[in-house]
Amino acid sequence: MEMYQIRYFLALSETLSFTKAAERCNVAQPSLTRAIRSLEVELGGELLRRERTLSHLTELGERIAPLMRQCYEAADAAKVVAQSLKKGEATSLSVAVSQSISVATLARILSELSRAFPGLQLKLLRGSGPEIVACLKSGEAELAIAGPLDETWDRLDAVALYDEPIDLFVSGKHRLATRKAAEFEDLASETLLINAASEMAGKIADRLKDTAAGTARSHRVASLDDLLTLVKADLGVAIIPLGIGSLAGLSLVPLGGLELVRTVSVYSVAGRCRGTACATLFNMLRAADWGFESATGRKCGGL
Amino acid sequence: MAERALSEILEETFARCRDLEVPLADRLQAFANEVRRMGPHFAVAVDNLVHRLMETGAGATAPKVGEPMPSFLLPDERGRLVGLEDLLGEGPVAIAFHRGYWCPYCRININALARAAAEIAPERRHIAAVVPDRQKYTAWLKSDAKVPFPILSDMDNGYAMSLDLAFWVGDELKQSMVSCGWDPAVSQGIENWVLPIPATFIVGTDGIVTARFVDPDYRMRMAIEDMMAALRSAK
Repeated sequence: MEMYQIRYFLALSETLSFTKAAERCNVAQPSLTRAIRSLEVELGGELLRRERTLSHLTELGERIAPLMRQCYEAADAAKVVAQSLKKGEATSLSVAVSQSISVATLARILSELSRAFPGLQLKLLRGSGPEIVACLKSGEAELAIAGPLDETWDRLDAVALYDEPIDLFVSGKHRLATRKAAEFEDLASETLLINAASEMAGKIADRLKDTAAGTARSHRVASLDDLLTLVKADLGVAIIPLGIGSLAGLSLVPLGGLELVRTVSVYSVAGRCRGTACATLFNMLRAADWGFESATGRKCGGL
Repeated sequence: MAERALSEILEETFARCRDLEVPLADRLQAFANEVRRMGPHFAVAVDNLVHRLMETGAGATAPKVGEPMPSFLLPDERGRLVGLEDLLGEGPVAIAFHRGYWCPYCRININALARAAAEIAPERRHIAAVVPDRQKYTAWLKSDAKVPFPILSDMDNGYAMSLDLAFWVGDELKQSMVSCGWDPAVSQGIENWVLPIPATFIVGTDGIVTARFVDPDYRMRMAIEDMMAALRSAK
Protein backbone atom coordinates (compact mmCIF):
# COMPACT_ATOMS: atom_id res chain seq x y z
CA MET A 1 0.00 0.00 0.00
CA GLU A 2 1.25 3.45 -0.76
CA MET A 3 0.17 6.52 1.15
CA TYR A 4 -1.34 8.27 -1.86
CA GLN A 5 -3.42 5.17 -2.68
CA ILE A 6 -4.84 5.17 0.84
CA ARG A 7 -5.54 8.89 0.62
CA TYR A 8 -7.46 8.36 -2.63
CA PHE A 9 -9.36 5.42 -1.17
CA LEU A 10 -10.35 7.39 1.94
CA ALA A 11 -11.64 10.22 -0.26
CA LEU A 12 -13.52 7.68 -2.36
CA SER A 13 -15.03 6.03 0.74
CA GLU A 14 -16.39 9.41 1.84
CA THR A 15 -17.62 10.71 -1.52
CA LEU A 16 -18.55 7.37 -3.14
CA SER A 17 -17.72 9.01 -6.46
CA PHE A 18 -14.54 8.79 -8.53
CA THR A 19 -15.15 12.29 -9.91
CA LYS A 20 -15.63 13.89 -6.49
CA ALA A 21 -12.78 11.93 -4.90
CA ALA A 22 -10.43 13.03 -7.70
CA GLU A 23 -11.49 16.64 -7.18
CA ARG A 24 -10.95 16.42 -3.47
CA CYS A 25 -7.48 14.88 -3.92
CA ASN A 26 -6.59 17.36 -6.63
CA VAL A 27 -5.73 14.68 -9.15
CA ALA A 28 -6.96 13.60 -12.57
CA GLN A 29 -9.67 10.97 -12.39
CA PRO A 30 -7.80 8.31 -14.44
CA SER A 31 -4.87 8.50 -11.96
CA LEU A 32 -7.22 8.03 -9.04
CA THR A 33 -8.98 5.13 -10.75
CA ARG A 34 -5.62 3.51 -11.52
CA ALA A 35 -4.48 3.89 -7.89
CA ILE A 36 -7.70 2.35 -6.57
CA ARG A 37 -7.41 -0.51 -9.05
CA SER A 38 -3.87 -1.20 -7.89
CA LEU A 39 -4.97 -1.11 -4.25
CA GLU A 40 -7.77 -3.56 -5.11
CA VAL A 41 -5.25 -5.96 -6.65
CA GLU A 42 -3.07 -5.76 -3.55
CA LEU A 43 -5.96 -6.16 -1.11
CA GLY A 44 -7.42 -8.98 -3.19
CA GLY A 45 -10.92 -7.66 -3.89
CA GLU A 46 -13.12 -4.82 -5.11
CA LEU A 47 -13.49 -1.85 -2.78
CA LEU A 48 -16.29 0.08 -4.46
CA ARG A 49 -19.23 -1.29 -6.38
CA ARG A 50 -19.93 1.11 -9.22
CA GLU A 51 -23.56 1.68 -10.01
CA ARG A 52 -24.93 4.56 -12.00
CA THR A 53 -26.76 6.29 -9.16
CA LEU A 54 -25.88 4.33 -6.06
CA SER A 55 -22.17 3.52 -5.89
CA HIS A 56 -21.32 1.96 -2.54
CA LEU A 57 -18.44 0.37 -0.67
CA THR A 58 -18.20 -3.40 -0.93
CA GLU A 59 -18.07 -5.49 2.24
CA LEU A 60 -14.26 -5.46 1.95
CA GLY A 61 -14.28 -1.70 1.39
CA GLU A 62 -16.44 -1.12 4.48
CA ARG A 63 -14.25 -3.35 6.60
CA ILE A 64 -10.98 -1.92 5.44
CA ALA A 65 -11.85 1.80 5.51
CA PRO A 66 -11.40 2.36 9.30
CA LEU A 67 -8.19 0.35 9.24
CA MET A 68 -6.84 2.36 6.30
CA ARG A 69 -7.71 5.57 8.11
CA GLN A 70 -5.74 4.44 11.14
CA CYS A 71 -2.75 3.52 8.95
CA TYR A 72 -2.91 6.82 7.15
CA GLU A 73 -3.08 8.85 10.36
CA ALA A 74 -0.15 6.96 11.87
CA ALA A 75 1.92 7.45 8.72
CA ASP A 76 0.94 11.09 8.47
CA ALA A 77 2.06 11.63 12.07
CA ALA A 78 5.36 9.87 11.29
CA LYS A 79 5.89 12.32 8.40
CA VAL A 80 5.19 15.32 10.63
CA VAL A 81 7.72 13.98 13.14
CA ALA A 82 10.33 13.38 10.40
CA GLN A 83 9.97 16.92 9.05
CA SER A 84 10.01 18.72 12.37
CA LEU A 85 12.97 16.71 13.68
CA LYS A 86 14.90 18.00 10.70
CA LYS A 87 13.98 21.59 11.50
CA GLY A 88 14.54 21.13 15.24
CA GLU A 89 11.35 22.98 16.13
CA ALA A 90 10.46 23.76 19.71
CA THR A 91 6.99 22.45 20.46
CA SER A 92 4.31 22.65 23.08
CA LEU A 93 2.00 19.91 24.25
CA SER A 94 -1.04 19.90 26.47
CA VAL A 95 -2.19 16.63 28.06
CA ALA A 96 -5.19 16.06 30.31
CA VAL A 97 -4.90 13.26 32.87
CA SER A 98 -7.83 11.87 34.79
CA GLN A 99 -7.89 12.43 38.57
CA SER A 100 -8.17 8.66 38.88
CA ILE A 101 -4.69 8.08 37.44
CA SER A 102 -1.54 8.49 39.49
CA VAL A 103 0.94 10.75 37.74
CA ALA A 104 3.66 8.39 39.02
CA THR A 105 2.51 5.92 36.35
CA LEU A 106 3.34 8.48 33.67
CA ALA A 107 6.45 10.02 35.21
CA ARG A 108 9.01 7.94 33.29
CA ILE A 109 7.31 8.50 29.96
CA LEU A 110 6.91 12.24 30.49
CA SER A 111 10.51 12.73 31.59
CA GLU A 112 11.77 10.78 28.58
CA LEU A 113 9.63 12.93 26.29
CA SER A 114 10.97 16.05 27.97
CA ARG A 115 14.56 14.80 27.53
CA ALA A 116 14.06 14.06 23.83
CA PHE A 117 12.51 17.48 23.08
CA PRO A 118 14.68 20.12 24.76
CA GLY A 119 12.39 22.89 23.48
CA LEU A 120 9.18 21.25 24.66
CA GLN A 121 6.80 23.11 26.94
CA LEU A 122 4.45 20.66 28.59
CA LYS A 123 1.09 21.54 30.08
CA LEU A 124 -0.36 18.88 32.35
CA LEU A 125 -4.07 19.26 33.12
CA ARG A 126 -6.10 17.32 35.67
CA GLY A 127 -9.81 16.69 35.71
CA SER A 128 -12.75 14.36 36.11
CA GLY A 129 -14.16 12.48 33.11
CA PRO A 130 -16.52 15.26 31.96
CA GLU A 131 -13.84 17.92 32.51
CA ILE A 132 -11.43 15.94 30.35
CA VAL A 133 -13.96 15.66 27.55
CA ALA A 134 -14.49 19.42 27.76
CA CYS A 135 -10.72 20.02 27.52
CA LEU A 136 -10.51 17.86 24.39
CA LYS A 137 -13.54 19.50 22.79
CA SER A 138 -12.25 23.02 23.37
CA GLY A 139 -8.77 22.09 22.14
CA GLU A 140 -7.23 22.95 25.51
CA ALA A 141 -5.84 19.40 25.61
CA GLU A 142 -4.47 17.55 22.57
CA LEU A 143 -4.39 14.16 24.28
CA ALA A 144 -6.07 12.76 27.35
CA ILE A 145 -5.38 9.71 29.48
CA ALA A 146 -8.34 8.40 31.42
CA GLY A 147 -10.51 5.46 32.36
CA PRO A 148 -13.77 4.85 30.48
CA LEU A 149 -15.32 8.23 29.59
CA ASP A 150 -19.08 8.07 29.31
CA GLU A 151 -19.14 10.13 26.17
CA THR A 152 -20.88 9.67 22.86
CA TRP A 153 -19.17 12.49 20.95
CA ASP A 154 -18.36 10.84 17.65
CA ARG A 155 -15.07 12.71 17.16
CA LEU A 156 -13.63 11.28 20.37
CA ASP A 157 -11.04 8.62 19.45
CA ALA A 158 -10.06 6.13 22.14
CA VAL A 159 -7.23 3.61 21.98
CA ALA A 160 -7.04 1.20 24.92
CA LEU A 161 -3.68 1.19 26.73
CA TYR A 162 -4.23 -1.38 29.46
CA ASP A 163 -6.85 -3.21 31.51
CA GLU A 164 -6.34 -2.73 35.21
CA PRO A 165 -8.19 -4.81 37.82
CA ILE A 166 -9.91 -2.93 40.64
CA ASP A 167 -9.80 -4.33 44.14
CA LEU A 168 -9.93 -3.66 47.88
CA PHE A 169 -7.01 -1.92 49.57
CA VAL A 170 -6.54 -1.24 53.28
CA SER A 171 -3.78 0.22 55.44
CA GLY A 172 -1.10 -2.13 56.78
CA LYS A 173 -2.56 -1.70 60.29
CA HIS A 174 -6.11 -2.59 59.27
CA ARG A 175 -7.78 -5.73 60.69
CA LEU A 176 -8.21 -7.08 57.13
CA ALA A 177 -4.60 -6.39 56.10
CA THR A 178 -3.36 -9.89 56.88
CA ARG A 179 -6.35 -11.64 55.34
CA LYS A 180 -5.87 -13.59 52.09
CA ALA A 181 -9.26 -12.47 50.82
CA ALA A 182 -12.35 -10.56 51.89
CA GLU A 183 -16.07 -10.91 51.26
CA PHE A 184 -18.71 -8.22 50.85
CA GLU A 185 -19.90 -8.98 54.44
CA ASP A 186 -16.49 -7.90 55.74
CA LEU A 187 -17.17 -4.40 54.44
CA ALA A 188 -20.56 -3.93 56.13
CA SER A 189 -18.94 -2.48 59.24
CA GLU A 190 -16.25 -0.53 57.38
CA THR A 191 -16.02 3.02 56.12
CA LEU A 192 -15.52 3.16 52.36
CA LEU A 193 -13.51 6.01 50.88
CA ILE A 194 -14.70 6.79 47.38
CA ASN A 195 -12.67 8.64 44.77
CA ALA A 196 -15.41 10.96 43.56
CA ALA A 197 -13.49 11.92 40.42
CA SER A 198 -12.98 8.32 39.31
CA GLU A 199 -14.69 7.23 36.09
CA MET A 200 -15.39 3.93 37.85
CA ALA A 201 -17.14 5.39 40.93
CA GLY A 202 -20.60 4.68 39.50
CA LYS A 203 -19.71 1.13 38.48
CA ILE A 204 -18.24 0.35 41.91
CA ALA A 205 -21.37 1.73 43.64
CA ASP A 206 -23.59 -0.36 41.34
CA ARG A 207 -21.64 -3.50 42.14
CA LEU A 208 -21.84 -2.97 45.91
CA LYS A 209 -25.45 -1.75 46.03
CA ASP A 210 -27.16 -5.12 46.40
CA THR A 211 -24.48 -6.80 48.49
CA ALA A 212 -23.78 -6.84 52.22
CA ALA A 213 -21.33 -4.00 51.57
CA GLY A 214 -24.18 -1.82 50.33
CA THR A 215 -24.92 -0.57 53.85
CA ALA A 216 -21.33 0.46 54.60
CA ARG A 217 -20.72 4.08 55.49
CA SER A 218 -18.94 6.02 52.75
CA HIS A 219 -16.97 9.26 52.38
CA ARG A 220 -16.44 10.97 49.07
CA VAL A 221 -12.96 12.34 48.43
CA ALA A 222 -12.23 14.39 45.33
CA SER A 223 -8.46 13.97 45.19
CA LEU A 224 -6.84 10.57 44.70
CA ASP A 225 -3.78 11.61 46.73
CA ASP A 226 -6.02 12.68 49.62
CA LEU A 227 -7.86 9.38 49.45
CA LEU A 228 -4.64 7.37 49.60
CA THR A 229 -3.40 9.43 52.56
CA LEU A 230 -6.67 8.85 54.40
CA VAL A 231 -6.61 5.08 53.75
CA LYS A 232 -3.04 4.99 55.08
CA ALA A 233 -4.25 6.81 58.20
CA ASP A 234 -6.88 4.06 58.58
CA LEU A 235 -9.83 6.41 58.21
CA GLY A 236 -11.37 3.83 55.91
CA VAL A 237 -10.79 1.31 53.13
CA ALA A 238 -10.93 1.86 49.37
CA ILE A 239 -11.82 0.00 46.21
CA ILE A 240 -9.26 1.30 43.74
CA PRO A 241 -7.21 0.21 40.72
CA LEU A 242 -4.49 -2.34 41.46
CA GLY A 243 -1.60 -0.21 40.24
CA ILE A 244 -2.61 2.76 42.36
CA GLY A 245 -3.07 0.79 45.56
CA SER A 246 0.19 -1.10 45.12
CA LEU A 247 2.18 2.01 44.22
CA ALA A 248 0.88 3.74 47.37
CA GLY A 249 2.10 0.82 49.51
CA LEU A 250 -1.37 -0.20 50.68
CA SER A 251 -2.32 -3.81 51.42
CA LEU A 252 -4.32 -5.64 48.78
CA VAL A 253 -7.15 -7.83 50.10
CA PRO A 254 -8.86 -9.46 47.09
CA LEU A 255 -12.59 -8.88 47.42
CA GLY A 256 -14.51 -11.99 46.33
CA GLY A 257 -17.15 -11.37 43.68
CA LEU A 258 -16.07 -7.82 42.82
CA GLU A 259 -14.52 -8.64 39.42
CA LEU A 260 -14.14 -5.11 38.14
CA VAL A 261 -11.60 -3.96 35.59
CA ARG A 262 -11.03 -0.48 34.22
CA THR A 263 -9.71 0.13 30.73
CA VAL A 264 -7.36 3.07 30.61
CA SER A 265 -7.24 4.65 27.18
CA VAL A 266 -5.55 7.48 25.38
CA TYR A 267 -8.10 9.86 23.91
CA SER A 268 -7.76 12.32 21.08
CA VAL A 269 -10.01 14.19 18.70
CA ALA A 270 -10.48 12.66 15.25
CA GLY A 271 -9.39 14.88 12.39
CA ARG A 272 -7.16 17.14 14.48
CA CYS A 273 -3.57 17.10 13.35
CA ARG A 274 -1.13 15.78 15.94
CA GLY A 275 2.02 17.79 16.48
CA THR A 276 5.43 16.16 16.81
CA ALA A 277 5.52 15.89 20.60
CA CYS A 278 1.88 14.81 20.67
CA ALA A 279 2.44 12.07 18.07
CA THR A 280 5.55 10.88 19.91
CA LEU A 281 3.80 10.76 23.29
CA PHE A 282 0.89 8.91 21.70
CA ASN A 283 3.29 6.24 20.40
CA MET A 284 5.14 6.03 23.71
CA LEU A 285 1.88 5.48 25.59
CA ARG A 286 0.78 2.84 23.07
CA ALA A 287 4.14 1.04 23.18
CA ALA A 288 4.64 1.14 26.97
CA ASP A 289 4.56 -1.98 29.11
CA TRP A 290 2.03 -1.09 31.80
CA GLY A 291 2.49 -4.33 33.68
CA PHE A 292 -1.08 -5.49 33.06
CA GLU A 293 -2.51 -7.96 30.57
CA SER A 294 -2.68 -6.83 26.99
CA ALA A 295 -5.30 -4.25 26.15
CA THR A 296 -6.66 -6.49 23.41
CA GLY A 297 -7.70 -8.87 26.17
CA ARG A 298 -6.01 -11.85 24.58
CA LYS A 299 -3.12 -13.91 25.81
CA CYS A 300 -0.04 -13.91 23.68
CA GLY A 301 1.73 -16.94 22.23
CA GLY A 302 5.37 -16.76 23.32
CA LEU A 303 4.87 -14.93 26.59
CA MET B 1 -5.36 -29.17 21.22
CA ALA B 2 -4.45 -29.52 17.54
CA GLU B 3 -3.61 -25.81 17.32
CA ARG B 4 -1.42 -25.92 20.38
CA ALA B 5 0.44 -28.94 19.05
CA LEU B 6 1.05 -27.13 15.75
CA SER B 7 2.47 -24.04 17.42
CA GLU B 8 4.76 -26.22 19.53
CA ILE B 9 6.01 -28.11 16.50
CA LEU B 10 6.61 -24.80 14.73
CA GLU B 11 8.57 -23.50 17.72
CA GLU B 12 10.84 -26.58 17.63
CA THR B 13 11.23 -26.26 13.88
CA PHE B 14 12.13 -22.59 14.30
CA ALA B 15 14.81 -23.37 16.89
CA ARG B 16 16.31 -26.06 14.67
CA CYS B 17 16.42 -23.79 11.61
CA ARG B 18 17.78 -20.86 13.62
CA ASP B 19 20.70 -22.94 14.85
CA LEU B 20 21.72 -24.39 11.45
CA GLU B 21 25.34 -23.54 10.63
CA VAL B 22 24.47 -22.19 7.18
CA PRO B 23 23.96 -18.69 5.70
CA LEU B 24 20.86 -16.74 6.79
CA ALA B 25 19.06 -17.27 3.47
CA ASP B 26 19.40 -21.05 3.85
CA ARG B 27 18.12 -20.96 7.43
CA LEU B 28 15.08 -18.96 6.30
CA GLN B 29 14.57 -21.31 3.37
CA ALA B 30 14.80 -24.35 5.64
CA PHE B 31 12.02 -22.94 7.81
CA ALA B 32 9.90 -21.99 4.79
CA ASN B 33 10.29 -25.57 3.45
CA GLU B 34 9.14 -27.01 6.78
CA VAL B 35 6.08 -24.73 6.80
CA ARG B 36 5.29 -25.78 3.24
CA ARG B 37 5.63 -29.44 4.19
CA MET B 38 3.47 -29.14 7.32
CA GLY B 39 0.72 -27.00 5.88
CA PRO B 40 0.43 -26.72 2.11
CA HIS B 41 -2.60 -24.40 2.56
CA PHE B 42 -0.52 -21.95 4.52
CA ALA B 43 2.16 -21.86 1.83
CA VAL B 44 -0.48 -21.28 -0.84
CA ALA B 45 -1.96 -18.38 1.15
CA VAL B 46 1.51 -16.85 1.52
CA ASP B 47 2.29 -17.35 -2.17
CA ASN B 48 -1.01 -15.67 -3.13
CA LEU B 49 -0.30 -12.65 -0.94
CA VAL B 50 3.30 -12.34 -2.10
CA HIS B 51 2.13 -12.61 -5.70
CA ARG B 52 -0.35 -9.74 -5.21
CA LEU B 53 2.30 -7.61 -3.50
CA MET B 54 4.80 -8.27 -6.29
CA GLU B 55 2.21 -7.50 -8.94
CA THR B 56 1.53 -4.05 -7.48
CA GLY B 57 5.19 -3.31 -6.79
CA ALA B 58 4.74 -3.07 -3.03
CA GLY B 59 7.68 -1.41 -1.28
CA ALA B 60 9.24 -0.19 -4.54
CA THR B 61 8.75 3.48 -3.63
CA ALA B 62 10.51 3.17 -0.25
CA PRO B 63 13.71 5.29 0.02
CA LYS B 64 16.14 4.33 -2.72
CA VAL B 65 19.93 4.41 -2.84
CA GLY B 66 21.02 8.05 -2.99
CA GLU B 67 17.83 9.33 -1.31
CA PRO B 68 17.63 10.62 2.26
CA MET B 69 16.26 8.25 4.92
CA PRO B 70 13.39 10.09 6.65
CA SER B 71 14.00 10.84 10.34
CA PHE B 72 12.16 9.04 13.11
CA LEU B 73 11.90 9.15 16.88
CA LEU B 74 10.72 5.83 18.30
CA PRO B 75 10.78 4.23 21.75
CA ASP B 76 13.17 1.32 22.22
CA GLU B 77 12.50 -1.77 24.34
CA ARG B 78 13.07 0.22 27.55
CA GLY B 79 10.96 3.19 26.49
CA ARG B 80 13.94 5.38 25.59
CA LEU B 81 13.33 7.53 22.50
CA VAL B 82 15.84 6.83 19.76
CA GLY B 83 16.15 9.02 16.66
CA LEU B 84 17.86 8.31 13.36
CA GLU B 85 20.19 11.28 14.06
CA ASP B 86 21.20 9.76 17.43
CA LEU B 87 22.14 6.53 15.65
CA LEU B 88 24.01 8.27 12.85
CA GLY B 89 26.03 10.18 15.45
CA GLU B 90 27.66 6.82 16.22
CA GLY B 91 28.41 5.95 12.57
CA PRO B 92 26.60 4.37 9.59
CA VAL B 93 23.60 2.28 10.54
CA ALA B 94 21.48 -0.54 9.14
CA ILE B 95 17.76 0.01 9.78
CA ALA B 96 16.05 -3.39 9.62
CA PHE B 97 12.24 -3.59 9.58
CA HIS B 98 10.77 -6.71 11.15
CA ARG B 99 7.21 -7.99 11.35
CA GLY B 100 7.02 -8.90 15.02
CA TYR B 101 8.18 -11.02 17.92
CA TRP B 102 5.83 -13.82 16.84
CA CYS B 103 7.38 -14.17 13.35
CA PRO B 104 9.86 -17.08 13.11
CA TYR B 105 11.55 -15.58 10.03
CA CYS B 106 12.14 -12.34 11.94
CA ARG B 107 13.49 -14.25 14.92
CA ILE B 108 15.90 -16.19 12.70
CA ASN B 109 16.91 -12.91 11.05
CA ILE B 110 17.31 -10.99 14.34
CA ASN B 111 19.42 -13.81 15.70
CA ALA B 112 21.80 -13.50 12.75
CA LEU B 113 21.77 -9.68 13.07
CA ALA B 114 22.67 -9.94 16.76
CA ARG B 115 25.85 -11.83 15.90
CA ALA B 116 26.68 -9.49 13.03
CA ALA B 117 26.19 -6.44 15.26
CA ALA B 118 28.69 -7.73 17.81
CA GLU B 119 31.23 -8.31 15.05
CA ILE B 120 30.90 -4.90 13.42
CA ALA B 121 30.43 -2.65 16.47
CA PRO B 122 34.21 -2.08 16.92
CA GLU B 123 34.23 -0.58 13.41
CA ARG B 124 31.65 2.04 14.51
CA ARG B 125 28.92 0.48 12.40
CA HIS B 126 25.53 -0.24 13.98
CA ILE B 127 22.15 -1.85 13.52
CA ALA B 128 18.66 -0.91 14.73
CA ALA B 129 15.50 -2.96 14.28
CA VAL B 130 12.03 -1.47 13.79
CA VAL B 131 8.95 -3.56 14.62
CA PRO B 132 5.27 -2.68 15.11
CA ASP B 133 5.23 -4.44 18.52
CA ARG B 134 4.82 -2.91 21.97
CA GLN B 135 7.74 -2.76 24.42
CA LYS B 136 6.80 -5.89 26.33
CA TYR B 137 7.37 -7.83 23.11
CA THR B 138 10.41 -5.93 21.85
CA ALA B 139 11.99 -6.55 25.26
CA TRP B 140 11.24 -10.25 24.88
CA LEU B 141 12.70 -10.32 21.37
CA LYS B 142 15.78 -8.52 22.63
CA SER B 143 16.49 -10.97 25.44
CA ASP B 144 15.46 -14.05 23.42
CA ALA B 145 18.16 -13.44 20.80
CA LYS B 146 20.57 -11.51 23.10
CA VAL B 147 20.32 -8.53 20.77
CA PRO B 148 22.91 -5.81 21.44
CA PHE B 149 21.14 -3.11 19.38
CA PRO B 150 17.91 -1.19 20.03
CA ILE B 151 14.60 -2.69 18.91
CA LEU B 152 12.25 0.21 18.22
CA SER B 153 8.46 0.14 18.51
CA ASP B 154 6.76 1.57 15.41
CA MET B 155 3.17 1.69 16.65
CA ASP B 156 0.46 1.17 14.02
CA ASN B 157 3.29 0.84 11.46
CA GLY B 158 3.31 4.64 11.21
CA TYR B 159 6.95 5.01 10.16
CA ALA B 160 6.86 1.93 7.91
CA MET B 161 3.66 3.16 6.26
CA SER B 162 5.17 6.62 5.72
CA LEU B 163 7.84 4.82 3.64
CA ASP B 164 5.16 2.81 1.75
CA LEU B 165 6.36 -0.34 3.52
CA ALA B 166 3.13 -1.62 5.08
CA PHE B 167 0.65 -4.15 3.76
CA TRP B 168 -2.61 -5.72 4.86
CA VAL B 169 -2.40 -9.43 5.65
CA GLY B 170 -5.87 -10.27 4.32
CA ASP B 171 -8.41 -12.83 5.45
CA GLU B 172 -6.93 -15.92 3.82
CA LEU B 173 -3.48 -15.64 5.41
CA LYS B 174 -4.88 -14.28 8.69
CA GLN B 175 -6.71 -17.54 9.28
CA SER B 176 -3.61 -19.63 8.59
CA MET B 177 -1.51 -17.44 10.87
CA VAL B 178 -3.94 -17.66 13.77
CA SER B 179 -3.99 -21.45 13.46
CA CYS B 180 -0.19 -21.40 13.91
CA GLY B 181 -0.46 -19.21 16.98
CA TRP B 182 0.96 -16.17 15.15
CA ASP B 183 -1.20 -13.26 16.22
CA PRO B 184 0.21 -9.77 15.65
CA ALA B 185 -2.91 -8.13 17.12
CA VAL B 186 -1.71 -9.01 20.63
CA SER B 187 1.78 -7.56 20.34
CA GLN B 188 0.65 -4.58 18.26
CA GLY B 189 -2.23 -3.82 20.63
CA ILE B 190 -4.46 -3.23 17.66
CA GLU B 191 -6.58 -5.48 15.48
CA ASN B 192 -5.80 -4.24 11.99
CA TRP B 193 -3.56 -7.00 10.61
CA VAL B 194 -1.19 -4.61 8.93
CA LEU B 195 2.47 -5.63 8.79
CA PRO B 196 5.64 -4.02 7.48
CA ILE B 197 7.57 -5.42 4.54
CA PRO B 198 10.78 -6.60 6.28
CA ALA B 199 13.18 -4.27 4.44
CA THR B 200 16.73 -3.24 5.35
CA PHE B 201 18.30 0.18 4.65
CA ILE B 202 21.96 1.07 5.07
CA VAL B 203 22.24 4.76 5.93
CA GLY B 204 25.47 6.79 5.85
CA THR B 205 26.24 9.44 8.50
CA ASP B 206 24.94 12.08 6.05
CA GLY B 207 21.51 10.44 6.27
CA ILE B 208 21.60 9.14 2.68
CA VAL B 209 20.66 5.54 1.86
CA THR B 210 23.70 3.72 0.45
CA ALA B 211 22.12 0.28 0.03
CA ARG B 212 18.70 -1.26 0.49
CA PHE B 213 16.94 -4.60 0.41
CA VAL B 214 13.18 -4.59 -0.11
CA ASP B 215 11.35 -7.81 -0.92
CA PRO B 216 7.60 -8.22 -0.37
CA ASP B 217 8.29 -11.94 0.11
CA TYR B 218 8.83 -11.84 3.86
CA ARG B 219 10.73 -15.12 3.76
CA MET B 220 13.57 -13.26 2.01
CA ARG B 221 15.92 -11.01 3.99
CA MET B 222 19.06 -9.06 3.21
CA ALA B 223 22.04 -11.42 3.30
CA ILE B 224 24.25 -10.76 6.32
CA GLU B 225 27.37 -10.57 4.12
CA ASP B 226 25.71 -7.96 1.87
CA MET B 227 24.64 -5.92 4.88
CA MET B 228 28.13 -6.08 6.42
CA ALA B 229 29.80 -5.10 3.15
CA ALA B 230 27.37 -2.18 2.69
CA LEU B 231 27.89 -1.03 6.28
CA ARG B 232 31.68 -1.21 5.90
CA SER B 233 31.69 0.84 2.69
CA ALA B 234 29.24 3.44 4.05
CA LYS B 235 30.72 6.65 5.42
